[in-house]
Amino acid sequence: MRIAIDLHNHSCLSPCASDDLSPALLAVEAMEQGINILALTDHNSSRNLPAFKEACELCDILPLFGLEITTNEEVHILTLFPKLEDALAFGTFVEFLLPKRKNDKRLFGNQLVVNVEGEVLQEIDAMLSAATSLSFSDVVEEALSRDALVIPAHIDRYANSVLSNLGFLPNLAYSAVEAIHLPVQADTKDWAIVTGSDAHSLEQVGRRACYIEMEDLSYENLKEALQNKNNVSYQQ
Amino acid sequence: MTISDLATLEGFKWATEKTQDWEIQDAYTGDLLSDVMGNAPSDSVLVTIQAHKNTIAVASLAGIHALVICNNRSVPDDMKEAAQEEEIAIFTTKDTQFQASCKIAKALGRLDENRN
Repeated sequence: MRIAIDLHNHSCLSPCASDDLSPALLAVEAMEQGINILALTDHNSSRNLPAFKEACELCDILPLFGLEITTNEEVHILTLFPKLEDALAFGTFVEFLLPKRKNDKRLFGNQLVVNVEGEVLQEIDAMLSAATSLSFSDVVEEALSRDALVIPAHIDRYANSVLSNLGFLPNLAYSAVEAIHLPVQADTKDWAIVTGSDAHSLEQVGRRACYIEMEDLSYENLKEALQNKNNVSYQQ
Repeated sequence: MTISDLATLEGFKWATEKTQDWEIQDAYTGDLLSDVMGNAPSDSVLVTIQAHKNTIAVASLAGIHALVICNNRSVPDDMKEAAQEEEIAIFTTKDTQFQASCKIAKALGRLDENRN
């Protein structure tokens, strides 16, 4: 079956995202757009994933519990977990590896932890827009060992991408690579290429979802389907 | 030197509207924002290719008054807007970071500082 997936999205926890974009609003908008598998991938924190889980259950969407990690080379990588608790544990690990600096809300934006109703539970002091002390290969290795999908983000972007900051794609065991524009002007070998919305506001939700041919809706089947790049197709 | 002295350097073009004519006492060259945030001196100009909105936030935290975006990279609109708000000047140039840094070092009278 052909499944609509969108594996890169932010919520109001990411300083650069709109304060209005709660995990529940993200899930509802994705549902209306027919997305079957949705990931929330806030910058270097997993704290809005519990609300995201509840929202996806209500919307009948298969959730992936993600983070967009900033490596010490300032490359962004998506790490996506099938289980909430594994994502929360990884999130705690990653937040610990951020510099001991406080977020400047005026300059970078608010970092809001919310519940499924969108009520603010907490504001995060740590500077989530900063780089962790993990290297690119550390993140890939660590997340794979925790049974996550590992996807270098927007590899064709002019900033914070593996190609802009490291020059080429190191030959590591990525689950897929994410691009903004197709075809990608780089050697992506046999890795599946996915597009993701990287939504930072409500109107961006679903803008770059893609499709994958897989047996039925499960994390295991997604993981397997991504092993063949020909299973992925794109929006018109 | 001041911002207006920077504007006179060969090949430096304003990418924002003119800002206040801040005094520039030092310079830093780097593309990794975490490095800039930790090491750039205040009252300085930053030479970089990192044409991203976050560069403005980092510059503001570090007390950087001007950016020189090298290699003819274009400056996104959201970056220009953020710069305008923070009163940070942006210049673009075809120069590499090395060439732009040399021009600035000369203008700051710092070319001889490491000679024995």
